[in-house]
Amino acid sequence: MSVEAKPAQVHGRPAAARAPQLPAALRRLLLGLALPGGLAIAWELAVRAGLSDGRLMPPPSRIWQEFEELARNGDLLRHVIATLERMAAGFAFGTVAGTILGALAGYSSLTRRLIDPTLQGLRAVPSIAWIPLFILWLGIFETSKVALIAVGVFFPVYLGVMAAILSVDRKIVEVGRAFRLTGFAMVRRILLPAVLPAYVVALRAGLGLGWMFVIAAEFMGASEGLGYLLIDGQQLGKPAEIVAALLAFAVLGKLTDALLAAAAAPFLRWEDVYGAQHGGA
Amino acid sequence: MLALHNVGKTYPNGVRALDGVTLEVAPGEIVAIVGGSGCGKSTLLRAVSGLDRPTTGSVMLDGAVITRPHEKIGIVFQEPRLLPWLTVARNVGFGLEDRPKPERNSRVRAQLDRVGLTEKATVWPRELSGGQAQRVAIARAFVTRPEVLLLDEPFSALDAFTRADLQDHLLDVWADTEPTLVIVTHDVDEAIVLADRVIVMRARPGRLYEEIVTDLARPRDRQSAAFDFAKRRVLAALDRSLDRKAIDDGETRTEAGAAMWW
Repeated sequence: MSVEAKPAQVHGRPAAARAPQLPAALRRLLLGLALPGGLAIAWELAVRAGLSDGRLMPPPSRIWQEFEELARNGDLLRHVIATLERMAAGFAFGTVAGTILGALAGYSSLTRRLIDPTLQGLRAVPSIAWIPLFILWLGIFETSKVALIAVGVFFPVYLGVMAAILSVDRKIVEVGRAFRLTGFAMVRRILLPAVLPAYVVALRAGLGLGWMFVIAAEFMGASEGLGYLLIDGQQLGKPAEIVAALLAFAVLGKLTDALLAAAAAPFLRWEDVYGAQHGGA
Repeated sequence: MLALHNVGKTYPNGVRALDGVTLEVAPGEIVAIVGGSGCGKSTLLRAVSGLDRPTTGSVMLDGAVITRPHEKIGIVFQEPRLLPWLTVARNVGFGLEDRPKPERNSRVRAQLDRVGLTEKATVWPRELSGGQAQRVAIARAFVTRPEVLLLDEPFSALDAFTRADLQDHLLDVWADTEPTLVIVTHDVDEAIVLADRVIVMRARPGRLYEEIVTDLARPRDRQSAAFDFAKRRVLAALDRSLDRKAIDDGETRTEAGAAMWW
């Protein structure tokens, strides 16, 4: 690329000004943990004091025991890996298809008129309603599950990419034209960087829906995976196992989302937005 | 030589934005185009830039017909239109992508130096003031060494002090390679500070109405009597173009006679 340049740091305050306090990141973390942590401690104390037997809603200590048990015998890892594999495959397929079709629909109005009405029609079908058809077509094993997750990921990515391209500032595109950019060069040097922030949002929305659909997929007869663990806990009457699986979902969902956001952050440092001044999420 | 022959533009809705514009601009000449709003001055500039195509007539640069953006024609818009995802230096170097890196870097550095923003090379556009951003836009246009540079009300969004400052910057950078400048403006002072020739346009349909050769020595003193006189001639022509009875018409004419007499 052209001139090598590291953008100057502007938001950093001098270290001396915040030395006596806790680091801002730690303070924010503690603040975020106050509510769930407080509720957990309160429930633990309530069960210990005999106010509830904790049968339907086990206290944190019992959930932790269940967690340890699952982790020790290797079940937790097995289920997590099964879920993550499905999720990764479905997310990859959904993202690739959504990105390509969204980009085509955004870039060419002919393509948009051709495919968008059909896709919007399909989008109106709640994705879980596809399950019976997918099982008939693709069998009850991995393929139908991955397909369902891919469908869930596809729509937010497709819509996000198309809308992002359609809303690129005409004036910026004109700068590209004035410098005689056409076709691929226009896409690479103007459109792609311009849609990147919206694209990251679309991917995160797709990821969120992907996690939703991975459970739906695992409810339809899986022998492993966190969704299977939920069903197993329900059928055997083990609420601690259900909550442990829920917690694993929460951790995985948050972790993958944070990874995605962190991977995108270096490419979005240029953004001049409200969130940048307030430290974002 | 930039030559417009009988250029006309009719929009799909039937509005005739330009009609029969014929104009020749010599290499190195600075022409300012002024006129009331909606007189087609921006349409004219866009036709010259190749961003829009005229419906009739043609725009030629050194004998070649301009139908799309041309490497010898640069443009500076009313807004800086910097690419927010590139640092200032890479914005300036945007049009030099095909050059070898050392040449690109040295030209970008030199151009940034010319507009006095060397220390801003590594910052994002969001950290610039309005005047700084427009200076970067000017640097971006000049760095490719165009033969013709078009400026579409480039300083109209800036305050008066910054505007005067940027006019000086523009003339300063122009003196390096002396490209042809065509500047659209609604600021008569600006037209006279910058231009060798001021062209007044008239609306509906947009066409060239009157031409005033400023004939002032550079650098121009905004306070001088000669400056003031040129300004009054342009203002009187503007009034006539808007079919308003010019109040000081007689006075202008007397002074015009006096000027010739001098």
